[in-house]
Amino acid sequence: MTKRVDLFALSALPAVLYLLVIYAVPLLMLLTRSVTGAEGLTLAPYTAFLSDAFNWQIIANTLRVAGLVTLTCLVIGYPVAFALSWARGLAQAVLLLSIILPLSVGVVVKAFAWQIVLKRDGVVTAALMATGLFEEPPRLLFTETGLVLGAANVFLPFMILPIYSVAKLVDPRLTEAGATLGATPWKRFARITWPLTLPGVISGIAFTFSLSVSMYVIPSLLIGDRFQTLATLTGRSFLLMRNEALGSATAVLLLALAVAVVVGSTWFARRLGRAA
Amino acid sequence: MKICVPPPSATLPRRALLAAGASLAGTLAMPGLLRAQTRELVVGGAASHKPWMDATVIPFFERKYNCRITYEGTRSLVNLEKMQTNRSRPYLSVVQMDDPVMILAARENLLERLTPERVPNLNALKPGTIHMDGMWANYLQPWQGIAYNTRALPNGIASWAELWEPRFKGRVVLPSLQNTEGLANLFVAASLETGKPPAEAQADADAGFRKLRALKPNLLTIYTQMPQAFNLLEQGEAWAIAGALSSFALERKAQGAPIALAAPQEGIYASPSGICAVRGGPNQELAMAYVNEMLGAELQAKLAGPTFSLPTNTGLPVPADMPQVPVHSIDWANVAAQRNAWVQRWDREMAL
Repeated sequence: MTKRVDLFALSALPAVLYLLVIYAVPLLMLLTRSVTGAEGLTLAPYTAFLSDAFNWQIIANTLRVAGLVTLTCLVIGYPVAFALSWARGLAQAVLLLSIILPLSVGVVVKAFAWQIVLKRDGVVTAALMATGLFEEPPRLLFTETGLVLGAANVFLPFMILPIYSVAKLVDPRLTEAGATLGATPWKRFARITWPLTLPGVISGIAFTFSLSVSMYVIPSLLIGDRFQTLATLTGRSFLLMRNEALGSATAVLLLALAVAVVVGSTWFARRLGRAA
Repeated sequence: MKICVPPPSATLPRRALLAAGASLAGTLAMPGLLRAQTRELVVGGAASHKPWMDATVIPFFERKYNCRITYEGTRSLVNLEKMQTNRSRPYLSVVQMDDPVMILAARENLLERLTPERVPNLNALKPGTIHMDGMWANYLQPWQGIAYNTRALPNGIASWAELWEPRFKGRVVLPSLQNTEGLANLFVAASLETGKPPAEAQADADAGFRKLRALKPNLLTIYTQMPQAFNLLEQGEAWAIAGALSSFALERKAQGAPIALAAPQEGIYASPSGICAVRGGPNQELAMAYVNEMLGAELQAKLAGPTFSLPTNTGLPVPADMPQVPVHSIDWANVAAQRNAWVQRWDREMAL
């Protein structure tokens, strides 16, 4: 038994080495650079960054957009994941294909497509005008709303697939049993379905939030230079300002925030799950 | 006197040695000869220049010098990053980029000085096109005006000041200050705000920012990717791009896009395209030959038309279709000194 475990452990070695070289070492270099000044170790890049009120606005932008993208993906993705788990045969294949196929399309192409969809004479604006709620075509392109919609479209599969992987394991007889015991649809969802699918939801949130908090190309194309996030500021610090200390500090802050939010939401969701 | 006659047995080994030496020399020389046949020059430049590089420059140079050119098109600042990162073992031989970025590269000692001995065409350039004692030179001078959608604005744009009019609400696109072409707008705005001549107004960035803040209601977006901005203009979502480069805008127009480039009455801005040799880059002589050709009349005559730019070689005339308005120059040394501070200020004051 011990030998088998050891072999299993050894089989993970290439992946561990790969991650060490490709991920951990550069990350360590980045961290080191962020605390190294002309006179040795220093926290000056962090204090300089955090003492500027505008930079707190950048942090707020980053977290708000990532949160909204994740929420949008969850609201749209949760029912889709269930539809996928309930569908059978051709319907399931078509649904799966329609979710997975867009992953093969580059982010830049998708962002440009959203530019066409969101423009003033685009389909979304036409649909909004048809509701009669607007006197003139609302501007969606290069707004935060447009950014959230476009980014949610790009990251939606990363929310749907983890939830689907859990939802397909949920025994439908459990909710049927709840119904026979007199539970309302909402109660059956809140007390049975939601807690059982929570691991998938947590994974989906972790994936989507991590991707959206660090997105760089999508904001550049869908909202432009007027909306700064930690990722765009990091790129700009290295490429334009030639300020490696600032770029390293913002990159480390971005990573820390992403990890904190993902770990925190996981912990919170698990507590909720236990409480349910 | 004793004559040393080599023993007969020694004659053969010496001949053999000579033959072997000759053979070895030939063998050692062969890779050099092979390399000479397949010499490669890696040239860094702007992504937007790739069409005319592929169509004109690369075939011209490869044929003339029996070599191969690999063109890496990206942004000037990315080229600078490549030069800096590979400082100890450069792989780029030549870089074509904007003057303000050239200043940064020269300060970081990344450039090989161009001399008339190695680049004879330096002697044929217009005044003001050789910089920092030969660290780089300008091979073309595109100009900046206002690109506009001809369907939305059939009467064109006569003045930079029109961009502030309410009819342009949400329809104007500006380049970011990260992009070199973005800087002209700051100086246009300073001139409009203060009423000073453009050259004098460049010293008053405060006034420029003040005037640009007033343009915010009319802004659709601020771009870092030029093709995206022109996509918006051609679709009619944007009506005007202020500070658009002739080399891009007029090429799109020539391809049938519904756009034109206005030369406002206050004047247009020259946006010089620079070329440099990378310090310690591979194939230095070939690199210098490339720079020389780019500064020569023959190649510039081929490029000035397709790039809608002014040639810098004195042997060529000013194109007949150049707009008849004042042409202003930008003080790039001042830009290089202030740019980081300006970009930070831009982020704050132009944010959504």
